[in-house]
Amino acid sequence: MKNMSILLSALLILSIAAVSCGGGEEADPVQQVEQDITEETIRQDTGDLMFTVNGEDFVRSGFVSMDGWHITFRHLYVTITDITAYKSHPPYDPHSGGEIVATMRVELDGVFTVDLAQGDENTEPILIGTLDDVPAGHYNAITWSMIPSTEGPSNGYTIYLDAQAEKGDQSYNVYLGFETGYRYTAGDFVGDVRKGFVNTGVPGELEMTFHFDHIFGDIDQPVDCDLNMMAIGFEPFAALMGEGTVEEDIATLEQKLPRETYARLLEVLTTLGHTGEGHCQCTVIQ
Amino acid sequence: MHGNPVKILLSSAVFLMLTAPVFGHGARVVWELQGDSVHISASFDDGQPLSRAQVTVFSGAAPSVPHIVGMTDENGEFSFLPDREESLNWDVQVRSAGHGDMVHLSLTEEPAVESEQGTFSTLQVVLMSACVVLGFVGTALFFASRRKK
Repeated sequence: MKNMSILLSALLILSIAAVSCGGGEEADPVQQVEQDITEETIRQDTGDLMFTVNGEDFVRSGFVSMDGWHITFRHLYVTITDITAYKSHPPYDPHSGGEIVATMRVELDGVFTVDLAQGDENTEPILIGTLDDVPAGHYNAITWSMIPSTEGPSNGYTIYLDAQAEKGDQSYNVYLGFETGYRYTAGDFVGDVRKGFVNTGVPGELEMTFHFDHIFGDIDQPVDCDLNMMAIGFEPFAALMGEGTVEEDIATLEQKLPRETYARLLEVLTTLGHTGEGHCQCTVIQ
Repeated sequence: MHGNPVKILLSSAVFLMLTAPVFGHGARVVWELQGDSVHISASFDDGQPLSRAQVTVFSGAAPSVPHIVGMTDENGEFSFLPDREESLNWDVQVRSAGHGDMVHLSLTEEPAVESEQGTFSTLQVVLMSACVVLGFVGTALFFASRRKK
C-alpha cells in the first residue's frame, strides 16, 4: 500500500511537470506584445502600409455563370470598415480559427464604399487608404468588417450588385442588395507575390479580395468542382424575374427563393471574403 | 436561473453556426517531417488532391522572396529539404486554379517529433516515458498486492 502511494505521487508529480514544460514554451500574448512594441519603438524602422480591395477580373470584365448566364456588372458596391492589419505570431491560420495573437496591430480608420466593377483585366486592386510610418515588418493577417452603406446607390446594403444577365434571347437587369454584415479574419495573402512587407522606403500592401464567382459559379470550371457544387448559379434569380428586371434584397429573397437555395445563398455570402486566394474566418454581424 | 434546455441548445447551435469557420470550398495544405525533409500534402476541401499545383517555399531568412518553386505530384504531394542553418521558419504556399493555402513551419535545430500539431521537447518525452513505465510498475504492484491478500 505504501509502495502504491509513492508511485501515485510520483506519477502525479511527473504529469504536472510534463504539462508545465509544454506550457512554458508558449509566451503570454500580452507580454509578448509589450516586448515587441518596445523593440519596434527602439528600432524606429517605419514605412507605409497600403490597403487595397479587389473584386478580381470576374466582376470587372464579366463572366459566364455555371448555368450559362453571361453576367456583366455595371456596379458592384461593397462597404468596408474596421480594417486592422496585424503582425501575427504565430502566423494566423484561418483553418484553425480563433483569435489573432499579434505582436503589432495598426488600424485604418474610416468607412469605405468601393465599386469593385470599375476597370478592366489590367486594373490594379483599388487603393482605399494608406497608413504612413507604421513599424516595419511583415503584416501577415488582416481583419475587416462589411456593414450596410449609409449613402449613395448602395444605401442600406453591405453588398449591392447592379448587373446585366444574358442567356440566349433573355436579358435581365439585375439589382441585388444584401443587408447582412460580416466580419472577416484572414491570414497571409496567397497569390502571385507575397504581400504585407513594410520596409523603409518600400510600402507594403494588404489586399481584401472578394470572390463573387462563389454566388454564381463558373462555367469554365468542372460541373462537379467544389466551387460549382457550392454556388447557386443565376437561374434561381432569373426565376424571380419581373418585366426584365430582378430587383431583390435579402428579405424578399427569403420569401421567394426555395428554402434550400436561400440557405445556401446565406452560406455562400460568408465565403466571399479572401486575401488573394487565402481564405477567411467569417462571422455574421447581426 | 435555469433556462429552457431546448432554447439553450438551439441558441448554442445558432451561435456556433454564426461563428463557425466557413470553408465551403478551397484548399488545405498539411505538412510533416520525414527524416530531414518536409513533406507537403495539398488537397481540396472535398479531399481531392491538388495535383500539379504550384508550390512556393519561402525561407524565414528572406520571407518575401521565393526560395524554392516547384509543383505537387499527381497525389498533391511535394517534399523539400529545409536548410536549418539558414532558418528554422519556413512558409509553403500551394496554389491551383484559383485555390490556395499557405502553411507556416517552425522547425527545431535537430529533426525531432514535429508536425503541424506542434512539438514535444526532449524533457517532455522523457517525463512522459517515465509516466508510462511507472504506470506499468504500479499496475504490476497492484495485482501483486492483491495476490498476497
